Amino acid sequence: MKKKLRSYILNTCAVAALYGLAMLLIGSGAVNNYYLGIMLSAGISIVMAVSLNLTTGLLGQLALGHAGFMGVGAYAAALLSIHIGVDAQYIFPLSLFFGGLVAAIFGLIIGIPALRLGGDYLAIITLGFGEILRVLIINLDFTGGARGLRGIPRVTDFTYVYIVVALVVAVMFALGRSRHGRAILSIREDPVAAEASGIPTTYYKIFAFTLASFFAGVAGGLYAHYIGVLNPKNFGFAKSIEYLVMVVLGGMGSITGAVGAATVLTVLPEALRQFSDYRMLVYSLLLIMMMLFRPTGLLGTREFSLTALADRLLRRKPQAPDFAALAGELPPAALTHRLGEPPAPGAPALLRATNLGIQFGGLKAVSGFDLALEQGEIVGLIGPNGAGKTTVFNLLTNVYLPTAGGIEMEGRNIVGLPTHAITQVGIARTFQNIRLFKNLSVLDNVKIAFHNQMQYTPLEGTLRLPRYWWEEKLADARAYQLLHVFDMEGLADKQARNLPYGQQRKLEIARALAANPKLLLLDEPAAGMNPTETQELLATIRRIRDTFGVAVLLIEHDMSLVMGLCERLVVLDYGQIIATGTPEEIKRDPKVIGAYLGQ
Amino acid sequence: MIVLRQLINGLHVGSIYALIALGYTMVYGIVKLINFAHGDIIMVGSYVAMVLMAQAGLPFWAAMAASMALCGILGVTMERVAYKPLRSLPRINSLITAIGVSLLLQNTSQLIFSPNPQPFPTAFKVPPVSIGGLDIGFITLFTIVVSVGLMLALQAFVRATKMGKAMRAVSEDMGAAQLMGINVNTTVSVTFAIGSVLAAIGAVLYSSAYPSIAPTMGSLPGLKAFIAAVLGGIGVLPGAMLGGFIMGVAESLTKGFISSQLADAVVYGILIVVLLVKPSGILGRRTNEKV
Repeated sequence: MKKKLRSYILNTCAVAALYGLAMLLIGSGAVNNYYLGIMLSAGISIVMAVSLNLTTGLLGQLALGHAGFMGVGAYAAALLSIHIGVDAQYIFPLSLFFGGLVAAIFGLIIGIPALRLGGDYLAIITLGFGEILRVLIINLDFTGGARGLRGIPRVTDFTYVYIVVALVVAVMFALGRSRHGRAILSIREDPVAAEASGIPTTYYKIFAFTLASFFAGVAGGLYAHYIGVLNPKNFGFAKSIEYLVMVVLGGMGSITGAVGAATVLTVLPEALRQFSDYRMLVYSLLLIMMMLFRPTGLLGTREFSLTALADRLLRRKPQAPDFAALAGELPPAALTHRLGEPPAPGAPALLRATNLGIQFGGLKAVSGFDLALEQGEIVGLIGPNGAGKTTVFNLLTNVYLPTAGGIEMEGRNIVGLPTHAITQVGIARTFQNIRLFKNLSVLDNVKIAFHNQMQYTPLEGTLRLPRYWWEEKLADARAYQLLHVFDMEGLADKQARNLPYGQQRKLEIARALAANPKLLLLDEPAAGMNPTETQELLATIRRIRDTFGVAVLLIEHDMSLVMGLCERLVVLDYGQIIATGTPEEIKRDPKVIGAYLGQ
Repeated sequence: MIVLRQLINGLHVGSIYALIALGYTMVYGIVKLINFAHGDIIMVGSYVAMVLMAQAGLPFWAAMAASMALCGILGVTMERVAYKPLRSLPRINSLITAIGVSLLLQNTSQLIFSPNPQPFPTAFKVPPVSIGGLDIGFITLFTIVVSVGLMLALQAFVRATKMGKAMRAVSEDMGAAQLMGINVNTTVSVTFAIGSVLAAIGAVLYSSAYPSIAPTMGSLPGLKAFIAAVLGGIGVLPGAMLGGFIMGVAESLTKGFISSQLADAVVYGILIVVLLVKPSGILGRRTNEKV
């Protein structure tokens, strides 16, 4: 907190100082109107690049119509200023907000269908949107048609642009380092794992896209009141590409990178004006060279940090966060996970699957699957390769919608619930081929799964209200505690992708536990581990069950683990249960022996 | 009668879109890249043909062959220099490079030929053909016949030849295809070459229909052809043809009966409706990620 405070003060001072300096230069006449114009254009580009970075860099969705939202905002804000009948300079902030709002509504309307689909559809639909918009503006009367919208009061000045830039950048940083920002990043890293960690991915995709549209609309409002005349051609595909290039050159996902690239790419063409014949040629060559030789952009996903720079100048060593101390500060009650209440006699089973089945085309991958699990049980799901074990997991978490049968969690039907809701109800899982949020830290991987146990809203997070501090602190401490269970607390700030294989498997289990499940589904947790590691894992899983009171259903081929750990086994072959019982019974079952060895 | 006339016009421009769309869809199917520079190959093809016909006095056929050869070489070079090194990186990188290549081609041609539009020489001085009382321009007939022929030939090539099989394998799974001994680099190069050659043919036909060429002329047909590919189901060859014809006919009917201004809006509108109803396009397959 103290460290954060220092960083806030430092950044606020820098922003204020930069403003003071710029105003001094403008006031003294050192910056003439031509340079001022470039500065305003650069500011507007920064807002556009930073907001597009939210969609493309942080959320990981390619959008090719960002300038379209700018256009919507520009026209909306300009029309309000022209028609409201009050001197525009008094209501300018209102006009800007209105521009943003209308753009956000468009974003919502386009985002809802396009983002449900994923893949390249957002790119294609936004591209189509930009072009339709252009045609519509030309053909409508109140927009001034092809001649353009004229007579917009030119009230945009340096102060307005500067304030908007500072606000947008600050909001991006503040939001990015909150549970909502982590949710957005997790979708970029792995949408399937995000959903399984309890993140409502569709909601957050639409949220991020709508917010980006809002900022683009505000930038449009600034632009309209700076240039005075709007022409539909200025918001076409080429313009959208220009902003996309800024985001990619700055480094996708880097906010400061987007700021830098937007500034350079606005100033550079002006500086090259005397070579105007060749400047686009140089620009295109630079673009290609940049991608070939520095494909991550200028900053990659890193951020330029004033605090880190100051630390280096003052030779202060950056301190690693002291998680142990953090845990000590918190009341002990906050740290313990909900240990399951002992079930009341006659209560429904924790999980009950009845006659569960799924058919892919003509193939019955799983059929007639019955299973009842009680709290705190450890049950193994075994069977030869291709028996349908992982498919059962996918059915239980609704990655696949079953074509037959039902699933109840504590008596409640969960068939058809979205995966993130199933996680919330209490089923968390790991994946056969590890799915971590690879470019995020180990700590963030775990914290993402706390998402649903935190309550602060995006606004509280952005404004850094007390609930944000309290919940984040709690999450840090609990994440530390969970990592400690796996002896991984020392790795908290490492990138997940750099962990060795065994640690990655453990981190996935820690993440699943962080979602506070009642039932943990482990898909081949010992795959790729040596016998010593497997024995350690066995002890860990047992400890998890005893500490957290979760039931465990695990798929595993390592028989030493299965036989040593599971209290009950279910054997699957060709999608059907061929045997259930204790490990000893299963070992002697002729059908099981037949399935494994062939008859 | 007017409807029929507009339909034929639609087929004319639609078959050009289809030819260009094939290039988009083949490249997308194999390397999952939206090749934004594909439209500019149309521009290069048109300029090459124009220079050879108007200034070197070559006959139409020779100019077209030279244009095809040059565009094929350009396509392969583009892939080798600008896209291949980025194959293992996120797709957005190659997309940005493609935009860079597109700008490079446009600006180079602006330096050589000036930004002003230039006339494209008339290829055929043949009177219109009359079919059932309807006069159809020779170039219209020629375009439709050539395009449909090429599409069928391409379909046969991909279905029946060894290289075609390699292309299908690479588009299914590049890594696995490589392990089966398929030379992935050659296959991708051949794909770019075929796409670019088809674009060159499309370019000459397009410029014959709209005989004014400029350095940025490729963007619009390029964009529309791309949309045609998406509409039909990107990565699916018959889809690109179907998409191209739908686009052409819709555009032509809107121009003829509603408003020429709104033609583009109608086309994009159709695209959005199709994507909402069937996200993978008319003939596309939905692929599920394995979890």
